[in-house]
Amino acid sequence: MIEVKHISKRFRTPLVPEGRFAGVRALFSRKYKEKVAVDDISFCIGQGEFVGYIGPNGAGKSTTIKMLTGILHPSTGEVAIGGRSPHRDRRHVVRGLGVVFGQRTQLWWDLPTRDSYDILAAMYKLRERDKARKLAEMNDLLGLGEFMDTPVRKLSLGQRMRADLAAALLHDPAILFLDEPTIGLDVIAKKNIRGFLKTINRELGKTILLTTHDMDDIEELCQRVMVINHGRLAYDGSIPDLRSRIGLPTVIRVSFREPLPERLETDGAPFSIAGRNGLELTLQCNRQDIPAMDVLRHVSQWGEIADVHMEEPAFEEIIHKVY
Amino acid sequence: MTMLRLYLLLFRASVRSRMQYKLNFLLSSGLAAFINLMEFLLIAIILQRFGDIKGWSLYEIGYLYSVLLLSRAIYRILASDVHHIEKYLVGGELDQLLTRPIPVLLALMTQNVTILLGEVIQGTVLLVLCFQGLLAAGQIGWLAIPQTALVILAGSVILFAIGLLSATAGFWLTRVRDLQNITEDAARNAAQYPLVLYPGWLRMILLTLVPVGFANYVPALYILRGEYGPWLLLVSTAAAVLLLWVSFRFWRLGLSRYQSAGS
Repeated sequence: MIEVKHISKRFRTPLVPEGRFAGVRALFSRKYKEKVAVDDISFCIGQGEFVGYIGPNGAGKSTTIKMLTGILHPSTGEVAIGGRSPHRDRRHVVRGLGVVFGQRTQLWWDLPTRDSYDILAAMYKLRERDKARKLAEMNDLLGLGEFMDTPVRKLSLGQRMRADLAAALLHDPAILFLDEPTIGLDVIAKKNIRGFLKTINRELGKTILLTTHDMDDIEELCQRVMVINHGRLAYDGSIPDLRSRIGLPTVIRVSFREPLPERLETDGAPFSIAGRNGLELTLQCNRQDIPAMDVLRHVSQWGEIADVHMEEPAFEEIIHKVY
Repeated sequence: MTMLRLYLLLFRASVRSRMQYKLNFLLSSGLAAFINLMEFLLIAIILQRFGDIKGWSLYEIGYLYSVLLLSRAIYRILASDVHHIEKYLVGGELDQLLTRPIPVLLALMTQNVTILLGEVIQGTVLLVLCFQGLLAAGQIGWLAIPQTALVILAGSVILFAIGLLSATAGFWLTRVRDLQNITEDAARNAAQYPLVLYPGWLRMILLTLVPVGFANYVPALYILRGEYGPWLLLVSTAAAVLLLWVSFRFWRLGLSRYQSAGS
């Protein structure tokens, strides 16, 4: 379905001279600054897969998606979607893609939402009957009715994302690229979007590639996860494998009422002491190996606990550290 | 044909978006017309004092001025955001246009359509006045009217091609305002008046490097003064077609260099 072979993307930006007529002088400037955004990435995604694509900011996620959707041309390497190259054959390939950029809308900002669907239907040459059927289906899943006649600029972020998803699916593409579709949404809106994505993947068989900073998106939706860092593919596999590989420690900070003994024995329990500062202890454990309550029960032998603070693992931060 | 239908659909959608802000639309149209009118009145007053410039009468200069004004209005109405490509390059807004199964240029042309009503009305009124004067003096015949229509169309193609070439340079430069100031604004301002006013090197530039002279001056030599021959009209049209072809090729090349912007 999606085949990516050794793609790299190097950006060459001219160093713009300063001062008067900078733009004209840049014409003749030969100084460039080169940056490698994506470095020799290869992968294959099969039909019906739901793949999460994660990595820190600036790691090359968006650049990869842009190369897959024909927006950017790879400096080297090949992309094939359904056997065709999205940059040589852009118009044909994008006909079979749905793309959602969470930060930007694809809809006509000042017009009623309904109008965007009419325009898109004409662009993709949909028959009136197919458009109506698809919109009805989307309406069932996303509840578009309440804002069909509202101008897009007046929609809430959650409504806008629903409207954008419907727009991306109107022409019934087999593949969906979602760049941070849950960004900025509240808990309920996120839950709705996830439910929707799950449905279109499991029931309609859409192939989905999702980038996100929200680990719950990944855990709940994706069968497979790819990690990119510094432009390189650092991991490609299942989530349980990734978890066992990097450990995902939960951090527990415990403060005690009285000074602690000099030597603290964990007696082989699977947690470790990461730091000690007066009355406060910082512990790390993997909640797959030991429940947090057991850790607390264990350390309460050392003294009376005054307060407990727990931090869930910041997945991305750890990935950033590990790779 | 389907492209044309799609263009019209997107064009209408863009106009409808514009009409959401009616007051702004009326105000900006009115102001633009006012500024243009002032500019020409200034020249007209000066000309009234001196009669003519280097053998070009007020009517003839008015003809050059209004023909170019109308050509430019057509170009800017039908291809609005080609001139404003910088914001698409700097902000990476071209991304959205690229994810649609239509030519990017078609999408760009129909973004933020502005109906330059002021320019169209002013250009038409001025052209009609000049025509009356020139017809009354027996300098031109009725045949000049369809010829002028052709010249205005070819001129709008020339201005569009120059605009597209300048815009495409943005794929390498990102910031193209300075370049556009020279190739579009300065060159057009210069060509509003007879090129005989300028030193030889400047005339050369306006006929080769930035060939805006073919949009009004060259055909006017034949239409108004019967110089050289009717083949000047053909030259003008051929220049338009050639430029259009070159600009399309260049645009294609530029698009493959698009770098987008950080997410």
